[in-house]
Amino acid sequence: MNRKHKSDLVILFTALGLMALGLIVIYAIGPMRANVLNSTYGTDYGPNDFFLGQLRSVLLSLAAFFFAFKVLPYKYIQKAAKPLLIFALLLSLALWVLSMAHASIVKCELGECRWFQFGSVSFQPAEILKLALAIYLADFLARKKAEGQVGKFQEFWLPLIIVCGLSLGLVVVAQGDLGTGVALIAIIFGMLLVSGVPSWQYLVMLAIVLTVAVGSVVMSSHRMERVNAWFTTLTGGDSSDSTYHIDNAMLAIGTGGFGGVGIGNSVQATGYLPESINDSVFAIMGETFGFVGLFLVIAVFCIMLLRMLKVASHTPDDNNRFLIVGIFSWTLAQVVVNIMAMTALVPVTGITLPLLSYGGTSMLFIAFAIGYVCQLSCYTSREGIDKHENISSGGRQRGSHYSSRRRHS
Amino acid sequence: MRRIKILKYITLAAFAIIAVRLFFIQIVEHDAWVAKANEQHTMLETITARRGQIYMLDGSEPVPVVLNQSVYQVIIDPAVTPKEEIKSALEKYASDKITANLDDIYNIEGLRYYIVAKNVPFTAADQIAKEGISSVWLKEGNGRVYPEGEVGSTVLGFVNSDGLGQYGVEGSLNDLLTGKDGLLKSISDVNNVALSIGNDNVKIPATDGKDVVLSIDRGLERGVEEVLSGAINSTAATNAAALVMNPNTGEVVAMTALPGYNPGDYGNVKDASIYINQVTEVPYEPASIFKNFIFSAAINEGKMTADSTYLNTPFTEIDGNKIWNAEQRAILNNQTLTMRDALYWSLNVGSIQALKFLGDNPNEITATGRERMYNYYNDKFRLGHATGIELIEAEGFIWEPHAEIYGLNAAYANMTFGQNLSATMIQTAAAFSSVVNGGVWRTPSVVKGTLENGEIKPLKNHEKVEDQILLPETSATMRSLLINNRSYKARAGIDKPGYDVGGKSGTAQVVVNGAYDDSMTNLVGSYIGFVAPTGKMPEYVIMVKMWGEGQALSGGEAQDLFDTLSNYVINYLKIKPGGV
Repeated sequence: MNRKHKSDLVILFTALGLMALGLIVIYAIGPMRANVLNSTYGTDYGPNDFFLGQLRSVLLSLAAFFFAFKVLPYKYIQKAAKPLLIFALLLSLALWVLSMAHASIVKCELGECRWFQFGSVSFQPAEILKLALAIYLADFLARKKAEGQVGKFQEFWLPLIIVCGLSLGLVVVAQGDLGTGVALIAIIFGMLLVSGVPSWQYLVMLAIVLTVAVGSVVMSSHRMERVNAWFTTLTGGDSSDSTYHIDNAMLAIGTGGFGGVGIGNSVQATGYLPESINDSVFAIMGETFGFVGLFLVIAVFCIMLLRMLKVASHTPDDNNRFLIVGIFSWTLAQVVVNIMAMTALVPVTGITLPLLSYGGTSMLFIAFAIGYVCQLSCYTSREGIDKHENISSGGRQRGSHYSSRRRHS
Repeated sequence: MRRIKILKYITLAAFAIIAVRLFFIQIVEHDAWVAKANEQHTMLETITARRGQIYMLDGSEPVPVVLNQSVYQVIIDPAVTPKEEIKSALEKYASDKITANLDDIYNIEGLRYYIVAKNVPFTAADQIAKEGISSVWLKEGNGRVYPEGEVGSTVLGFVNSDGLGQYGVEGSLNDLLTGKDGLLKSISDVNNVALSIGNDNVKIPATDGKDVVLSIDRGLERGVEEVLSGAINSTAATNAAALVMNPNTGEVVAMTALPGYNPGDYGNVKDASIYINQVTEVPYEPASIFKNFIFSAAINEGKMTADSTYLNTPFTEIDGNKIWNAEQRAILNNQTLTMRDALYWSLNVGSIQALKFLGDNPNEITATGRERMYNYYNDKFRLGHATGIELIEAEGFIWEPHAEIYGLNAAYANMTFGQNLSATMIQTAAAFSSVVNGGVWRTPSVVKGTLENGEIKPLKNHEKVEDQILLPETSATMRSLLINNRSYKARAGIDKPGYDVGGKSGTAQVVVNGAYDDSMTNLVGSYIGFVAPTGKMPEYVIMVKMWGEGQALSGGEAQDLFDTLSNYVINYLKIKPGGV
């Protein structure tokens, strides 16, 4: 392993910047959200309740971020891979069982039971499952690679299919959470891609999963309705109840124009756009900051993600590299699927925008994961993996290795 | 590492697609989305102007007699609203406001949003809201409250369910009371609450309706109605109307017609004719009351005096028609009488004689006489014409002096004693006021003004005429004749000492099927008079009218009513006695 050096500041600052931006947006639209809920459901939210909630989430997420970044050594995480996954699977299983028993600690919304509720704190087990699966797969794939068993059916594919199938089953079937399902599939296939699996196996498996996924959509009437709604919006068809969400997301983004309507001037956030502070926050940002603002946001995400890939490509340790790719895939899937849903490029799936959406659990775990990437960025080698595999080197340079590479070339 | 590069390309491709998509939505399609957003976000709402309240006077102090309150419509969605719950809530809190049969409504397939109760007061609406029944809406509207009940309904009128004033001042001053609704055009949230976002918000504030102060005295109005009610109960009359006005200002201080109705419950009136103001909207033949006008004309023109004489015959024949005196006594028939006597005994031959005098020929009615009489009746006393009072008015009818009809002189002879023409009570009272007030015809008025910041301001655009139509001497003579009338049939003892009370009765035959009903079983009794401190100018003119279908109500019964009223008015208005 490389000696520890300075971490990747780009990932650090893009992550912190996104969290700060999310806080500003929630500050601007939180009072509207409170107003809408109060007048529609007779709740009693104060104007700053959502901002304070987000502030709490951000502070907790920062703690998680720096805990993963600075405090918890990666070796401990690697060691905890199996128990963590078992714990996460048990939590999801418990949620499913308890939801069928109509336990009071299970929170359901719109018929889907995805949360544990303890007093005012709610917690979504699917979020921990994403992290646990990524950590477990990194360990699993690294072990199998070291043992030379990658691509073998009994030693490699069978346990993989069991673990992944179980995870997906608990999330997609039991919780009806297609959004997390998409993220899990992205994590699995992102990590598989870099694990050295033969291309034909990878493509066959991908084809199978996609077939199952399409099949499950076609078989499910409410998912099919979303697909139809998406298709209607994409092709400019007439609005209906089912196209309401996506119509209003597009309306928010469209009215933003080049420069946006400015902070606090969003009209769509006053109740027209569902989930304005959660899944639809990108659309509200589009209305508020316009094309310029959204372009900057996606640029920041893009830079952060590409930076993760760069860290991965300079991480010699398989386990760590796979995990970085897993976290990358997770983040990429959430960002791309969320934004594409808001712009009617894919059907709405109900997935949060990492670091920006209101919501505790999702931000907490992704912040932890990105913090972990920051920690691992301290252990990159100066050269890419392809060259590095036969080189053992010690980092003596200040700053991260790959960023100083130019001076050596 | 090649496969990581694949991920890099996937990332770049995905973000490139998103960027292009965003450019397309935000730059290319921007205008279309803005248009669509405006459609969704813009709310147009009428700001309802507050309807002006109506005040009467208590002394000189305005007191509200018509107030506003919020009332509510209850709207349900039969597809969603639980039937039994809303049914029991309505029956419990607003049973008399239910406007729909719930059983019927729930049987109509596909029916949505139906008004099931109207004019529900706030407290009841609040109770219904607290029941928390799903899909029940309460729509606020303006309602009128009439705390005086039936008192003043003739003058007040009511406001119908569309918010339009009907009858009374509610009807005649509807525009003034209504004000002007404002408009709110704004960006609104999903619950249609206006937002402060955007520069296109338009707010035209509502101009509230004016508070109107009537010249009607609330206590007097109530008292007059009680007196009238008593008269109806003690005579054959089914209806009675009265009017008390100040002849020196034209201000009406009491105006009523019974039976009345409660304007707050106007819908429960059986006969809609009850809404009509008998004082201003119904022309009739006031009969011998009109003798005052032909006498005034002839005296004012210097063609006769109170002491001019004529030979009183039981009847006189004009255009082949015999016109009889009602009073047939030996001491009167074929006697030479003064015009004072003629008025005292209310002799029709005498009033025809006044017309003859007016036409410069004591023996017959001349064209000059008709022209002069028409000039007084039509132009000076303005009989048969709307007076300009702030109420809905009817005109009336006066024959023109050269009308091409058979028996024009007979018609004019009839007109001297108030038949064969028509005029409203208010026209008659306004003309009579000029007879007794020194000769000035004034526009009668029921509105003192609008109440603004505690001050009463005169109505704008309401022209008040003041026209000296008689010489003060003529008026003085007429007053003395009218006071003299009061000794007729020993009435004098009824009037209080210290006061000059003068008056004249009228008993009119009613036209049935186009001809006067000579059976004398269908008569309308009227009386008009004034009260003054002895030796001073009259302070109030009082006119009463009593009638009932198929009932014979004479001027005598009207006079009884006047007697009670005049004393009541003197007491209530604390008119100081004079000449003592």
